[in-house]
Amino acid sequence: MSSREEILNRLRGNVRETYDFPDLGFKKLEFADPVAQYIETTTTTAGARVFEIKPTDDINAKIREAYPDARIIASNIPGVLADLNPDTVERAQDLEVVDVGVIKGEVACAENGCVWVPQTMKEKAICFASETLVLIVSRKNIVSNMHEAYERIKFNDYGFGTFISGPSKTADIEQSLVYGAQAARGLTVFLTD
Amino acid sequence: MSTKHSIAAEKFNQDSGRVTRHDQTFWSVRSKRDGLAYQLEEWEQLRESANLIKKHTITHLADYLEQFETNAKKNGVHVHWAKDADEYNDIVMEIMRQHNVKKVVKSKSMLTEECHLNDNLIKHGIDVVETDLGERILQLMEIPPSHIVMPAIHVTREEVAACFREKGIIEKHGAHAAEGLLKEGEDWRTSSDPTYLTRAARYHLRDNFMEADCGMTGGNFGIAETGDIVVCTNEGNADMSTSIPKLHIVSIGLEKIIPNYKAMGVFQRLLARHGTGQATTVYTSHFRKARPGAEMHIILVDNGRSSILGNIEHWQTLKCMRCGACMNTCPVYRRSGGYSYTYFIPGPIGINLGMLKDKEANYHNCSACSLCMSCDNVCPVKVDLSTQIYKWRQELDSMGHADPLKKMTSAGMQTLFEHPSLYTTALKFAPLANHVPAFMTNIKANTWCYGHTMPEFAKESFHTLWKKGKVK
Repeated sequence: MSSREEILNRLRGNVRETYDFPDLGFKKLEFADPVAQYIETTTTTAGARVFEIKPTDDINAKIREAYPDARIIASNIPGVLADLNPDTVERAQDLEVVDVGVIKGEVACAENGCVWVPQTMKEKAICFASETLVLIVSRKNIVSNMHEAYERIKFNDYGFGTFISGPSKTADIEQSLVYGAQAARGLTVFLTD
Repeated sequence: MSTKHSIAAEKFNQDSGRVTRHDQTFWSVRSKRDGLAYQLEEWEQLRESANLIKKHTITHLADYLEQFETNAKKNGVHVHWAKDADEYNDIVMEIMRQHNVKKVVKSKSMLTEECHLNDNLIKHGIDVVETDLGERILQLMEIPPSHIVMPAIHVTREEVAACFREKGIIEKHGAHAAEGLLKEGEDWRTSSDPTYLTRAARYHLRDNFMEADCGMTGGNFGIAETGDIVVCTNEGNADMSTSIPKLHIVSIGLEKIIPNYKAMGVFQRLLARHGTGQATTVYTSHFRKARPGAEMHIILVDNGRSSILGNIEHWQTLKCMRCGACMNTCPVYRRSGGYSYTYFIPGPIGINLGMLKDKEANYHNCSACSLCMSCDNVCPVKVDLSTQIYKWRQELDSMGHADPLKKMTSAGMQTLFEHPSLYTTALKFAPLANHVPAFMTNIKANTWCYGHTMPEFAKESFHTLWKKGKVK
């Protein structure tokens, strides 16, 4: 008998009483103004910045404003002036030098600042290895809580997605909070219409 | 009779500064969790839902595992089953051999600790690098984790700095890491500033991410309906580990499978709030398929879990999602530290999991509980931790591990309580004990006197007062 069969048989043999999946219809946290709450959460506890972008704004000027010292910008978003493209780099390692990665989020959650970022590029290393990130999110796609966020998120054929709520951080040395552990050290959300 | 836990705890308590810091660190995490709990009106409904979802999943686990396997395979992911630690290690080695792996970057996984994976990789000549900062510090210091979520919190910044100097990390990355960070006059060669040390570790780990040929992660959840593996981190190290190497191996315990996204919403809201007192981890990553040109393997590990399901008193330990909340709240853990326990997982859940793994080796930890039940009250999935510890204690006598002194005292108490006249007489003469000099009562056999002074017996008992009508 394979280990698989052995494990499944033992699990089936050891069940005595079974339980039903519960009704999750209880009332969940709702904000009167999820956009305002999302900005509040992101700029306080999550440690990120929010730039409100108007349709008339020049996105490249805004990226420059957010990170004036950046030398290498990476993105595959049409219209973003980038030095590297995560779709065309040969290896993921090539993205290690990126100062600003510009990526798109699809759903944002007001209760904890999480933004759903599905992989839309060949090398997702842009989302993590970049020194800092610009994350573009539409204010139309902000929900109050994670239950709603999970109802909305979608996968594409790349088969990866992540909720990002801020810059990478750690408190592993004496519980003192440090931004910029292994992944992006800074995050600026561009909130569009 | 002292248990190994009590002996080790006594030693830990000799450095009162360290104990106080340890205690306050974890109490602050517990307090942060409380703050978040008060912000959510549905807090208790979330906990009850999490409890019921886990009970449901665990009692239908074979079906959900099959569903998970089917979906993961549809996504092009390789799925393996390991009945124990040996088979698990063999599977890992086989995959690594096929890919000619020389260096592995690894994000934190308690399961790999449980199966002694790192020792096995090193034995086979594979360089393994832990990438969670705390885990990396411990790996370099060659010591085990003392907490499952904040594994190196007991180490001081000075100790971290000394370790980084000794391992050449400061020499290689210190000057770069110090740029724009250190105060005027502060020397990067000797600094123990946490931001600076974290920066130096960042550069050190970046080098390793770039060179590795395999990334290994654990899994906080596996979703049956989609085949997703969900990994939650603050540092982004699981994502760095899997975005660069072309091979991703996931190691996950059977009990981490949950049915669907509806369930995931509940657990995502609970995990970080309980574990570290944050509304979320920075990253909640869903791995469904391998990257273009890469390979993804999932190893489903049993290692005793399917047998625990058959244990009528302790099967609910399988609900645990390893958030660490029970440790953070436990007054004994906070004041005795993770290394006082004989099992690699400390605190209330560790006492139970250790007993399920090996009673003879781990019964010592059963003394590490005051039955205050705080753990039961904070557990996000409502594992009845202290009740289970109480039940283990009932087994100690039949195992031959009951404290003989306590047994004798209990027998004496039984005689006393079963004979009312003896009891009344004893009570009448009890105040005489007030006149016994302290050096005679403050003896080893009288364990009460350890850290206490003897209580003073009242001149008249409640019983006598009641009879005389003096109780109003």
